[in-house]
Amino acid sequence: MAKTIEPQRVWEPYVPDATNPWDLKKVGHVYRRAAFGASWADLQEGVKLGPQGLVDKLLKGGEASPLYDAETEAFLNSAAKKFNDGAQAAGWWLYRMLHGGHPLREKITLFWHNHFATSNAKVLNAGYMVGQYDLMYRCALGNFAEHLQAMSKDPAMMVWLDTVLSKKGQPNENYARELMELFSLGIGNYTEKDIREGARAFTGWEIQNGKFQNNTAQFDSGEKTVLGKTGNWKGEDIVRICLEQRACPRFIVGKLYRFLISEAETPPADLIEPLAKQFANGYDFGKLVETVLRSNLFFSAHAYRSRIKAPVDHVLGMARALEARMGTQNNALNLTTSLENMGQNVFHPPSVKGWDGGQTWLNGQTLLFRQNLALDMCRRPAGYQQPATAFAVAQAHGMKSDEELAGFFLDLFLQGDVPEETRKKVCDYAKSARTQKVPSYWTKQDVAEHRVISLCHLVMTLPEFQLD
Amino acid sequence: MTNRREFLKLSSLVGLGATVPTFLARTALAAPDAGKPGAKDSILVVVQLTGGNDGLNTVIPFKDELYAKYRPAIKVPADQVKKVNDSIGLHPSLEGLAGLLEDKALCVVQGVGYPNPSQSHFRSMDIWQAASTAETLTEGWVGKALKSINVPAFHVSSNNEAAPLALNGAPARVPSISSIADFQLKLADKSGKEVIESAAKSGGEKPGLLDFVQRTALNTYASSQKLQEIAKNYEPKVPYPGTGLASRLKLCAQLIDAGMGARVFYVSIEGFDTHANQGAAQGAHANLLSEVSGAITAFYKDLAARGHKERLLLMTFSEFGRRAKENGSKGTDHGSGAPMFLVGGKVKPGLVGTHPNLDKLVDGNLSFGIDFRQVYAAVLEKWLGVSSKDVLGGGFKPVEVFA
Repeated sequence: MAKTIEPQRVWEPYVPDATNPWDLKKVGHVYRRAAFGASWADLQEGVKLGPQGLVDKLLKGGEASPLYDAETEAFLNSAAKKFNDGAQAAGWWLYRMLHGGHPLREKITLFWHNHFATSNAKVLNAGYMVGQYDLMYRCALGNFAEHLQAMSKDPAMMVWLDTVLSKKGQPNENYARELMELFSLGIGNYTEKDIREGARAFTGWEIQNGKFQNNTAQFDSGEKTVLGKTGNWKGEDIVRICLEQRACPRFIVGKLYRFLISEAETPPADLIEPLAKQFANGYDFGKLVETVLRSNLFFSAHAYRSRIKAPVDHVLGMARALEARMGTQNNALNLTTSLENMGQNVFHPPSVKGWDGGQTWLNGQTLLFRQNLALDMCRRPAGYQQPATAFAVAQAHGMKSDEELAGFFLDLFLQGDVPEETRKKVCDYAKSARTQKVPSYWTKQDVAEHRVISLCHLVMTLPEFQLD
Repeated sequence: MTNRREFLKLSSLVGLGATVPTFLARTALAAPDAGKPGAKDSILVVVQLTGGNDGLNTVIPFKDELYAKYRPAIKVPADQVKKVNDSIGLHPSLEGLAGLLEDKALCVVQGVGYPNPSQSHFRSMDIWQAASTAETLTEGWVGKALKSINVPAFHVSSNNEAAPLALNGAPARVPSISSIADFQLKLADKSGKEVIESAAKSGGEKPGLLDFVQRTALNTYASSQKLQEIAKNYEPKVPYPGTGLASRLKLCAQLIDAGMGARVFYVSIEGFDTHANQGAAQGAHANLLSEVSGAITAFYKDLAARGHKERLLLMTFSEFGRRAKENGSKGTDHGSGAPMFLVGGKVKPGLVGTHPNLDKLVDGNLSFGIDFRQVYAAVLEKWLGVSSKDVLGGGFKPVEVFA
């Protein structure tokens, strides 16, 4: 990974050369950031495709994974709505992330979910939550200005931030505040007065039959002064005025930087500025994402392993690498509960600010949940006479000897990028595990699986595996 | 461009220091100078009410006509409050806490806030947790205090809760724990443990995220082993309610009782952002207060029955109070100026400070008479025996909250 880049070339597309070659590490990096991790086949294919080809492929989206089952997805979606079940809705989305045909779009949708963080804990309507997801998925790589306007009228959002309760003469400030603080401008770029005046423009916004409706009788049509502009503003005008602020593109680009490049650094303003300028011209978010994903900076040491894996990335990354199946059958993974324990229950962010991310993901308790889930995922799926997932995946790719197995798991999960000392310890362990005492009633198969499970788990518990 | 050039060299995070959790370094509390405040193994439990607790419906000026006028839908009727004196009463859901007044174990600090208050949940919470209004906040007031006293501390969390800013800056990372049973590393083969532990140690070539993960892992594996050893069935002396906050405080009691010298605890309860339909004597806000009161009362009684009454100080806070006038949704928008509760055997019982004047609102919000850092200063100086200047930067006169 390149450690230094010419400042003017930071956002130019990366072209491999002898000092900064295209390799397995970079393929893993792309799959972690622009998808939810890679299978062995993804990694091999990525090396062949090169940076341009791989980013092209992810931007375009493609065939769903071989484990995808349209019936399962449809079932989860309908069950979520029919039984108004937030856990089913979360399961449905995780299913799409893991097995669907457009992981990058799902990933950016998750970015928007964290941005417009809405929780079913208050909305209490799985149908609305799925509807908000649909909006974010549709706009994920589209026009941000349209996205923000549509989000302001989204039923889940209107319940979440009390827009539905805001009446003429009695405005509720919740939405106007978060629109400015969290959705468009960031703190320091508006005043309390802007919020109070702006809130009056969202009065009379209601939901009728599950859809946005403007009740003009409850709308405060008086003059409002917001961010220095005076007029008989409607809600749409307030959103537009926010979008016209110079702070807006900077704020959004800064957030994407944190999501795709690094949480370890707050980027200096002049690094963000070229992107903010590009983004302000038309608010094309897809183009912004593409610029970042192709850039020299993205493929440098500044970005590589410079985030802590979010729980969703950690869990789905393991599932993808292990080629594990998630679905409605009883051999499927129940990932929703695990993710809740680890602190990232989708459709249930802790507050309207979303998940803080970074180092806050990891503490003693959440680390243990991660390490213990890793072990469960290596083992045999519950209730089925199938081999352990770790064993099955190693066998499927022809890995048999101790050296092969240790090397395979290190490559699969960490693209081989661990200190030499760690590699040696893992390889030594693989050999020593052969001589472990096991209960006398274990079959040969039990013994073989147990050894592979232990080895695979060991690799997943390495500190490097917590980095994104 | 120098700025950007500098950035484009790899920079590093600030290292966080020691890697061994405090309670492993010392099994029993070293006996400090007996004359010093904080010498008697004082315990501090911080209870965070997340979302902005409506202070005006918590500590209620029930005689004030403006109170009823501002809050036609959500006022608590005067005949239902738990009277503290003839003009101030507690919300009826705080029956348990009100009962502690008789035990001289409840102190109510009124009208607490800070100048130019932020009405952003997140900014204001950071300010309270860091005890600073500096633009960038990286260390918490509790974490800084731990630099001075370096006693074992725990963040007792609900499963999915992130560690708070308040604990940042401690010499060793304060462990978050939600249950002792879940706080252990499962392995298929125990002989792999050596590899796992050595990988957690092997860092050090450069501070950064990897180093952070390694320190967290090392702390966790060591703490986990220790906790499994001391874990035993804990029989509380009084029943705890079946609520989340109560179970977290019960775990605090268990950790206190385990005798490993743990003295500082941090717990939270969320849901106080009552923009709509918050209710009055009953309803959403009343239920939250009921959870707070029930859990704290049981915790206090449990510890008192174990002889820890004089050692205990529990303190509540919220990032802000709410607007004096209710909004059109039978709720309240973000405000400022709110009360704090201090519970323990050594507090000054009853009311401290004056209730904010409802006739003199600032932008519709309650004013404050006591800066929250004056309360922190009292806790630091007189309870923990820590120089408040080291933590708060000085200039905050401790408020009289101890008997």
